[in-house]
Amino acid sequence: MAGIRIENVRKSFGVLEVLKGFSLDVADGEFVVLVGPSGCGKSTMLKILAGLDDATSGQILIGDREVTDVAPGERDVAMVFQNYALYPHLSVAKNMGFGLKMRGMARAEIDRRVREAARILDVEHLLDRRPKQLSGGQRQRVALGRAIVREPQAFLMDEPLSNLDAKLRVHMRAEIGALHKRLGVTTIYVTHDQIEAMTMADRIVIMRDGAIQQIADPDTMFQHPANLFVAGFIGSPGMNFMRSMVTMGASGPQLRLFGQDVPVDRPIAELAGKPVIVGLRPEHFAAGPGPVSFTVTPRLIESLGSEKYLYIEVPEENRGAITATRGGEDDHRGDSVIARIMDVGAIPQSEPITLSFDPSRLYLFDAETHVTIAG
Amino acid sequence: MTRRRLNIVLLYAGVVLTCAILLFPIYWLVVTALSKPIDLRVLPPNFWPEVPQWQVFAKVLADRPLLLWLVNSTLAALGAVTLSMSVSIFAGYSLSRFRVRGGQSLGLFILTAKMLPATLLVIPLFGIFRSMGLVGSLWSVILAQATLIVPVTTWRLKGYVDTLPRELEQAAMVDGCSPLGALFRVILPVATPGLAATCLYGFVLSWSEYAYARTFLTSAQGNWTANLGLTTMKGEYVSDWNEISAAAIMVAIPVLLIYLFLERYLVSGLTAGAEK
Amino acid sequence: MSRLPLLDLARPSRRHWLGYLLLAPAVVLIALIIIYPLIVSFDISFQKVDIVRLDRRAPFNLVNYQQLLGSAEFWMACWVTLKMVVIVTACCVALGLGTALLVNNHFRGRTVARLLVALPWAVPEIIAVVIFAWIFDSSFGLMNWLFFRLGLINETINWFSDPNAAFVAVVVTMVWKGYPFVSIMALAGLQSIPEDYYNAARVDGANAWNRFTHITIPSLMPVLGVTMVLVLLWVFRDFSIINVMTGGGPLKATQTLSIMTYEHAFGFFKMGYASAVGVVTLIFCVLASLLMIGREADGIY
Repeated sequence: MAGIRIENVRKSFGVLEVLKGFSLDVADGEFVVLVGPSGCGKSTMLKILAGLDDATSGQILIGDREVTDVAPGERDVAMVFQNYALYPHLSVAKNMGFGLKMRGMARAEIDRRVREAARILDVEHLLDRRPKQLSGGQRQRVALGRAIVREPQAFLMDEPLSNLDAKLRVHMRAEIGALHKRLGVTTIYVTHDQIEAMTMADRIVIMRDGAIQQIADPDTMFQHPANLFVAGFIGSPGMNFMRSMVTMGASGPQLRLFGQDVPVDRPIAELAGKPVIVGLRPEHFAAGPGPVSFTVTPRLIESLGSEKYLYIEVPEENRGAITATRGGEDDHRGDSVIARIMDVGAIPQSEPITLSFDPSRLYLFDAETHVTIAG
Repeated sequence: MTRRRLNIVLLYAGVVLTCAILLFPIYWLVVTALSKPIDLRVLPPNFWPEVPQWQVFAKVLADRPLLLWLVNSTLAALGAVTLSMSVSIFAGYSLSRFRVRGGQSLGLFILTAKMLPATLLVIPLFGIFRSMGLVGSLWSVILAQATLIVPVTTWRLKGYVDTLPRELEQAAMVDGCSPLGALFRVILPVATPGLAATCLYGFVLSWSEYAYARTFLTSAQGNWTANLGLTTMKGEYVSDWNEISAAAIMVAIPVLLIYLFLERYLVSGLTAGAEK
Repeated sequence: MSRLPLLDLARPSRRHWLGYLLLAPAVVLIALIIIYPLIVSFDISFQKVDIVRLDRRAPFNLVNYQQLLGSAEFWMACWVTLKMVVIVTACCVALGLGTALLVNNHFRGRTVARLLVALPWAVPEIIAVVIFAWIFDSSFGLMNWLFFRLGLINETINWFSDPNAAFVAVVVTMVWKGYPFVSIMALAGLQSIPEDYYNAARVDGANAWNRFTHITIPSLMPVLGVTMVLVLLWVFRDFSIINVMTGGGPLKATQTLSIMTYEHAFGFFKMGYASAVGVVTLIFCVLASLLMIGREADGIY
């Protein structure tokens, strides 16, 4: 009943195309996260959804009603902003009741709803205060309360947790999740933090430079990324990428990695003689011998207690995988890969260690288009 | 004394001395006002009257239509500020929030409009007001002063609205306001300090204005503003300096008070907008 | 709430109309009281008219401009304006910068000091004229007595009858009214210079003078530049101080272009000629404004 349909929305500022043909079907009650690096167009899309910006072309339907050119106040959506945007001259109670007052609701009903929302969000004791007297977390909860009382068809949230400190962010993440479970309202949530996306979303829409890269639920997106960008964006630390030539060996196609010919059970025979980009997540390295083993002296070891990050230099032939990932989270790995090893005790520095991985964990990407070939 | 202490003492001395010298003229004005006329024709001058003549203020109010002049200045200021603010609030908001075609050039024009010499503009304005029968009426002064005030207030208000987050109106619009509604219900209440400060600045500009008042009102004694009336108190050969000074003090007090209490607000807009 | 679709400014596609709508009143007002009069004054400057009449137009005539270019009075006014602008601006900048530097230090009561130092800004120009007209009074004014006591003069200076003395009196009054503005702007500029610049310089061994010339002055240049132009324009335009204090005399010693414009318009009722002088003044002002806009565009703060 209150699903959202976005059909081929485009947005340009003159010659600059900020959104390139965005289409998405959101089911009623779904929690969809738009994620991507800054400048990818996610906030623009949200603003267009809210009616705060106009689309250059395309259509938007909220609950089967076409709202493409409808005023924000008439779309029956509520929005939560990154910097809360609470009305400084009104008390918390009046802030929360503002939207209802605009709609001509009876005073008694407004009070009832405000109190109810305040109870849910645990801000009842703050109702008479002004926003400037509240802490960041409290303000955010009031902003959420302002959205809830409207009982809208959809919530739109624009990086609501970005201004909070790390601990508070984790806490509020859980709260928003619980709120969604409780109220079941369709929610579109924008963030640049892939952790928020992974933990909160029913489905994730990952964007880059105005274009959708992939739409999938978190697990699928993690295990089956559609391209290099998605593979590198989701997961922390992100996937390692190496370049390798495909050769034909006795038992089938092979890749040259870490000085060895690794047989891969993938249908890439026709790529023989061509390079591919190989991806392997840090957590898929193991200490000790395994299906494919190699010995190497780590360049750097970072210990976080029970888990350790080993920075391993990549052989010459495997370098040059990533060229300028604009906006991608390039974490100065340079010519190293990161291996994440758990519970392995002390690893002596500057000494060789044996690591291994399972070739079935490898992802393969087209060297030019970066599209996933197999994974 | 240590080097440090010496520096501090020198600093204090310097500050006190500087303030004393720079503010001496104001002090002298007060001394002159409170002196007996006889004592003003004597050298060396008294640096503080033996018996301060506090009654000079009452005398001036009785002898001259000073009260009328002050009322006229107030009316002119209220009129000019109201007229100016009512257009510049919206213009400032528009320039801040909207990408209007020609907005840049309008902004630039407003900047330069502040630099127009009044002595040039007064000539055609005289012709215009004459044909409208406004010469001698306070309305001519109100309109003429608006030429000074509107550019200033528009620029300041634009700068002020720039500091307010756009999300405020956006939240209001999502909550159900029209853009105009968001302006009136959210932006204006929040902007009250800036609006008040700008109004006061406009008031100061109007109160100090002289050229237009003199040109348009000289013929209409009943409409003289305070500045104008003050200049007529100066006789050709002999003047009652104590009375003139007393009158001057009374004319200066409103804006001095405004300045002292709201210097922070007045000045912040000044430096942000970079104008006089 | 149903609205006419065409007039519904809340719709995303129509919202930018509101921008134009809000701007309209100001544009109309400015057009009526600034732009239209400006056009009229340009028009009049090319006519040989005594009084501005909007209904009749005299034939196009360059005589006003010819007259002013050949007029000794005009060139004298240019010279007086130049002298006054340069001297007053220089003094205001020096005094304003000096006071700003002084009150920028940390000491108890610095807020009060700042307030007091810029106080003359709030004093209406006419009142400033009253103050200094009395101080410069030839018979009983403070200034003559002071000069006597200091042994600088033997007989009274008739400040308002002597051309040079009158010039000085006007300049002093203007500087007193003008320096606070520079002070306020300079102070704001000084306060925005990061403390770290000075700390780094100290660590590098720079003394106070070095710090001043290598950090303070360069950082202040943009602000000072703009401020200087604004003061310059103010002196150029000023009417209140000169007109009330000396009327442009004695012997036109204090008659700036601005005063000359007014004098010919409302003293002699030769408004065509006066407008021509005024237009020339305007051109100088515009040139100076462009100077400032150029600087401002370079990004001050």
